[in-house]
Amino acid sequence: MTDVDHERWSEDLAAYLLGALEPERAEAIARHADGCERCRAELRWLTPAAQALPEGVRRMEPPPELRARLMAEVEADAARSASQAEPPRASELDRRRPSWLARLGAGPMGLRPVAGVAAAILVVAAIAGFALGGGLGSGADGGGESTIAAGRAPGVTATMVNEGDSGTLRLANVHQLPDGKVLEAWVQRDGEVEPVRALFVPDRDGRASTRLPGMDGVEAVMVTAEPKGGSEQPTGEPLITISL
Amino acid sequence: MEAMTVKRQKAERLADEELMPLIGQKDPEAFAVFYDRHGGAAYSLAYRVVGDRAGAEDVTQEAFISVWRSGARFDRARGSVRSWMLSIVRNRAIDALRTRAAKAPKLTFDDDAILERRPAAERTEEEAMRRETASEVRGALGGLPGEQARVIELAYFGGFSQSEISRMLGVPLGTVKGRMRLGLEKIRGELAEGLA
Repeated sequence: MTDVDHERWSEDLAAYLLGALEPERAEAIARHADGCERCRAELRWLTPAAQALPEGVRRMEPPPELRARLMAEVEADAARSASQAEPPRASELDRRRPSWLARLGAGPMGLRPVAGVAAAILVVAAIAGFALGGGLGSGADGGGESTIAAGRAPGVTATMVNEGDSGTLRLANVHQLPDGKVLEAWVQRDGEVEPVRALFVPDRDGRASTRLPGMDGVEAVMVTAEPKGGSEQPTGEPLITISL
Repeated sequence: MEAMTVKRQKAERLADEELMPLIGQKDPEAFAVFYDRHGGAAYSLAYRVVGDRAGAEDVTQEAFISVWRSGARFDRARGSVRSWMLSIVRNRAIDALRTRAAKAPKLTFDDDAILERRPAAERTEEEAMRRETASEVRGALGGLPGEQARVIELAYFGGFSQSEISRMLGVPLGTVKGRMRLGLEKIRGELAEGLA
């Protein structure tokens, strides 16, 4: 290969390392470098410079909820791998289907979003420890958010923020969960409750949050306490229900 | 609980390369140690690229879960575990940016293109602060001439191709290539000096 030929490849090596080449050109460079010792040597020399770039970024602390969500998902995966349990048959699922699912199908049981909130939909949740008590009612006062307490437990505030076609559900004042339990989010769409595969746990301050992808057409969001690893169907009453 | 703690302590003593096979075997303790070591850098990088907390959380979560689910397919020949992880984060963050850009109204390649293509709702006070310091180059970029730092930033953190950068800055493609190369060479030289 002549020096001119090499130069044609060499001049793109920096862009290659910075991810600034069109995919076809990047693939061509990679193939060429496989057989070109000069290019490989240049890449070996320059690679640490490109790898140093993310290390120079201003450091930010990730929120603890991110770790909690990741670990909940990872532990759920590990538990599933370990159990290798066959999914229950449909008839078993039906038998285990809690009565509140039927109630959801019959009509909204949650609370309405506060009117007038555009970008962020702030909604209110009701909670009574781990058992939903009666007497739900709206405490909305026009301030964009309100809390309702029912039963003996202190109220939990739920904030549902829409971000494009996904959302973030943030809970505050959540009691610590019993050992072996995690929070699991569900959505209701066309009257049917669907799993979101969102497992999360409250932090020490009682805050818990999870991302809810694909919120198009969702009528309600529910959170239940489920065994570690999550469930195919909710196994108990919802801790909160949010009608959207 | 005690067994868990011992397992965690054991994992903490392992090098990244030794954690990878354990993560491949679905060991949550090994994964937790891995996250604790690199989660901060990953989140910071994701935030630097996408520019908002929610987006950075999504990117970081997806990147770490992909490592967990893929059985941690790490190839020693391609550098350190940390560099490999951060390259996954960077690529996912750029994908997220491009997805947003595709959904957003048509944009022009003006000077603040990277910031402008974010949805207005994301422009929080924090974002405003970030905008003020958007041109501030740090770390490895800090010592570079402005024009070299800029092309490298646009490429690495903005996800723009060299042709796009050429159009954006109104300079010939060859100039962009040259600035990228000179910039990386200079950073490399400084790294080598630091090791000497």
